[in-house]
Amino acid sequence: MQTLDLTEETKYLTKETKYLSEFYHLPEFKGLAGYKNKGGYQDLEKALKMPPQAIIDEVKASGLRGRGGAGFSTGMKWGFLPKNNEPRYLLCNADEGEPGTFKDRMMMEKAPHQLIEGMIISAFAINSKKSYIYVRGEYDESIDALEAALQEAYKAGYLGKNILGSGFDHDMDVYRGAGAYICGEETGMISSLEGLKGQPKLKPPFPAIQGYLKKPTIVNNVETLAVVKYIIRDGAAHYRTLGTEKSAGTKLFSLSGNIAKPGNYEVPLGYALKDMIYGMGGGFKNNKQLKAVIPGGSSAPVLNAAESMKATLDYENLAQMGSMLGSGAIIVIDDSQCMVQCLANLMHFYHHESCGQCTPCREGTGWLDKISHSILSGHGRRQDIELLLKVADNMKGKTICALSDAAALPVISFVTKFRDEFEYFVNEGKSKVKGTAFKGAPHASH
Amino acid sequence: MLPTNASSNASLVNIKCSINGAELEVKPGTTIIQAMQDNAQKIAHYCWHPGLSIAGVCRLCMVEIAGNPKVQIACNTVVTEGMKINNTSEKVKDAVKWGLDFHLINHPLDCPICDQAGECGLQDQYMEYGKYTSEMAEKKQKKQKVVDLGPTVVLDSERCILCSRCTRFTDEVSKTHELGIFNRGDHAEIGTHDGKQLDNKYSLNTVDICPVGALTSKDFRFKQRVWYLKESATICNGCSTGCNVNVYFNKEGLFRVKPKYNSEVNGYWMCDEGRTIYKFVNKEARLLKAKQYKDNSWQTEIPAGTAAKEVAQLLKTAQPEEVALVLTGQNTLEEYEALLATFVTTFKTKNIYHWWPQVAQAKDFDGLLLRGDKNPNTNGLLQTFEKFGINTEWPNLEQNLKSGKIKQLVVIGPENLTVYDDLKQKISLFLQAEHLIYVSSVKIAELESREESLEQSLEQSRETLKTVTLLPMKSYIEKAGTFVNYKGLAQTFKKVTTLVSEALTGTELAKLFAGESLKLEVLKAADLLTAVSSTRKDQVTLEHSKKNEFVFNRGRL
Repeated sequence: MQTLDLTEETKYLTKETKYLSEFYHLPEFKGLAGYKNKGGYQDLEKALKMPPQAIIDEVKASGLRGRGGAGFSTGMKWGFLPKNNEPRYLLCNADEGEPGTFKDRMMMEKAPHQLIEGMIISAFAINSKKSYIYVRGEYDESIDALEAALQEAYKAGYLGKNILGSGFDHDMDVYRGAGAYICGEETGMISSLEGLKGQPKLKPPFPAIQGYLKKPTIVNNVETLAVVKYIIRDGAAHYRTLGTEKSAGTKLFSLSGNIAKPGNYEVPLGYALKDMIYGMGGGFKNNKQLKAVIPGGSSAPVLNAAESMKATLDYENLAQMGSMLGSGAIIVIDDSQCMVQCLANLMHFYHHESCGQCTPCREGTGWLDKISHSILSGHGRRQDIELLLKVADNMKGKTICALSDAAALPVISFVTKFRDEFEYFVNEGKSKVKGTAFKGAPHASH
Repeated sequence: MLPTNASSNASLVNIKCSINGAELEVKPGTTIIQAMQDNAQKIAHYCWHPGLSIAGVCRLCMVEIAGNPKVQIACNTVVTEGMKINNTSEKVKDAVKWGLDFHLINHPLDCPICDQAGECGLQDQYMEYGKYTSEMAEKKQKKQKVVDLGPTVVLDSERCILCSRCTRFTDEVSKTHELGIFNRGDHAEIGTHDGKQLDNKYSLNTVDICPVGALTSKDFRFKQRVWYLKESATICNGCSTGCNVNVYFNKEGLFRVKPKYNSEVNGYWMCDEGRTIYKFVNKEARLLKAKQYKDNSWQTEIPAGTAAKEVAQLLKTAQPEEVALVLTGQNTLEEYEALLATFVTTFKTKNIYHWWPQVAQAKDFDGLLLRGDKNPNTNGLLQTFEKFGINTEWPNLEQNLKSGKIKQLVVIGPENLTVYDDLKQKISLFLQAEHLIYVSSVKIAELESREESLEQSLEQSRETLKTVTLLPMKSYIEKAGTFVNYKGLAQTFKKVTTLVSEALTGTELAKLFAGESLKLEVLKAADLLTAVSSTRKDQVTLEHSKKNEFVFNRGRL
């Protein structure tokens, strides 16, 4: 285990690369005037003079990958749209629900125009006349900021009919979700936007062919859409200079957990995880030590301390380590935490959030929740550890959406990497970590 | 060598694939599950139903496709050229076993008190893929046990596997939208939207398509264990649509009716009204023996044959213009032909009338299955009338009865009285004849009972009325025959069972009236064969009958 010597702090990189978040510290950046002072909407003017296909090509060339979690090439996604004049929709996924993630919220609160400009450019590129920003219900301030910014944008002629004399019409609306995790899944979000129960749709057909109101639809994350503006400004070639070969650009990371300085940090992809923890994050308080890191939101498989010290924050390295970059939510766990309790906590979340459509997920999440809480209450059986693995294994890749995998993957990684803690709990009826005795903890329930 | 007739249109070229080693050709766009179903291959599934949209939620119809490391669901995967599919590998079996286990961990396992036991999808698949001891040690999810969804259906939420077949049925087929799935995750339950009840003309189809014991029919539940019932195919005689149905019966009678697939007629569904047909077929509702009113008193318990022979004597001595026959659209084509032949050739009369219930509007149609003409064979009757050159008007009958011109009246009454609102009124008309011969499969309270109203109407007719003979008739379940439906489609059905042994068919009556005796030849081979022994495909091998025989049947749908 890596011990932290405070005198060595300078060894870690602490420099942020503020590309998207350059002006987030300025309160006036939130309003139209302040935004325009810093070059706002100039890229829209530039983009409207480009042929739409050139924008798509530029985004494709930039290597931009979806920032919402799946990391799919944005340009390629846009390319799936049918080449005709059928009405199509652009949806911004701002239903930021992945535990540990809070970057979209900051973006919407600090720079709503940045997102709006990115969306207008993207809509122009894919020839969409209507877009929605689907915002998580609890994000009051984000919604207020977006509503105000939209009004300003309409007044200034950036939205509506014949935008800046280009002949391109576009309308944009904010839609408020009701706080369901599953509505962050793109087809679940589409169902919710259609006024239906927020449940993912069976694929194929994929949204690019048949999405919102059965029309071709593109769903992109807040950060992804905002980045489009900068790709137009600086060109794909410049964007590629940031980050690594397969993970271009910068990314906002939400650092949370047992860390001295939690918060959002923007760094180029490929940045070392240890720098994020010990450099930017300021390491641990009270001489605690690193035990584990969940690198990409709660669905990402956990890394142990040794893996964390080696990992770099990009799509390919984390995939190689058996985890994923996900939404860029880094949850740091120190040695005062009981991993059984951490897993039980996660399982409670997935049990609560499963939409209940597919049987393996509906029943499996509840089962995992019950088994992990049974271990946590000191009533675990020896076979429960294997059972956790078996159940998780059979939930993986068996359902319509990825929520089942999101619940299964943490189980598999927690149990395999911290098996000693699980075995201790089952054998002794209490946690291996001192001070976290959870005997008699309430059984899994809502 | 003859030139091969290769198809010129590329889009119509069938797609070749192999399923479990069998080389098949399917139409473009066919899903794997459909291809398997069409080719009698077994595949476990709960949510998929050929008559509904694809939900893809039960995750049980797993198949392995060569070249794809992950097992796929067969219901949402379209067959492509050269696809090699199998669902018998260990990988698939393991996936199905786990899929089943997820369905069962919160299942209450109350089979001993569950009405679905014996024809339950969970039981069937457990026998096929499960047979393990449950590893679920935790407490099961508690849900509502007896939910009254409406006048016809009861819900047990704990048994429900949330396959969404019933909600899709009310959304897509009946389009009544009463049902929905409420709450999330393993708290999700089927329910009705605020203040609504599951109350539509097709509600019981939800019970048929429910693969488990969650939705049960209020009419059928707890009446019989399904393994004590035999199943036989026939035609519904509830209206002129002529839905294909299976009836379930034993020696006590019929217990329920379910739809049987026919793409030309009813697809996968039938209406709730049609499911009540068994009620007027069962013994309780039936006329068991012949009865006669003569010399101001009733004589009961007369053997039907004896009574029919007496009638034959009566008709033989009558003048042709004094004899009349009344028919409804509720008998078979064969009976019409035999009866008309007897009356036209033996009795030389064309006084044959079509009794049409006044309420019926033949053209009414609810857009799905229910039609205004509540007779299964009006078309058959009209066809036979045409064949024999019968062209009569009902008012003539009324007139001729009043004037005393018609003295011997034979009425082959309807089986399904519920749609004959004019019964009482018509009977008082018939009683104006000197001799009324009323043939009926069901009890006719208007004629039989000793109530004052009857005595009164008999009193009124006393001047002319000399005899009333009630003859028991076989219900349509007890005879083979043909119904011609609203669009002229002739559907032949076989005899299901015999419930009232003494009752006679129309064909037998025609013979007896004509003075012939009933020889065995009348009972054609087709009459003797019951549908059970001739059409049940699941009795193919001993192996199948040894196993749970429902596996075969249900595994295909």
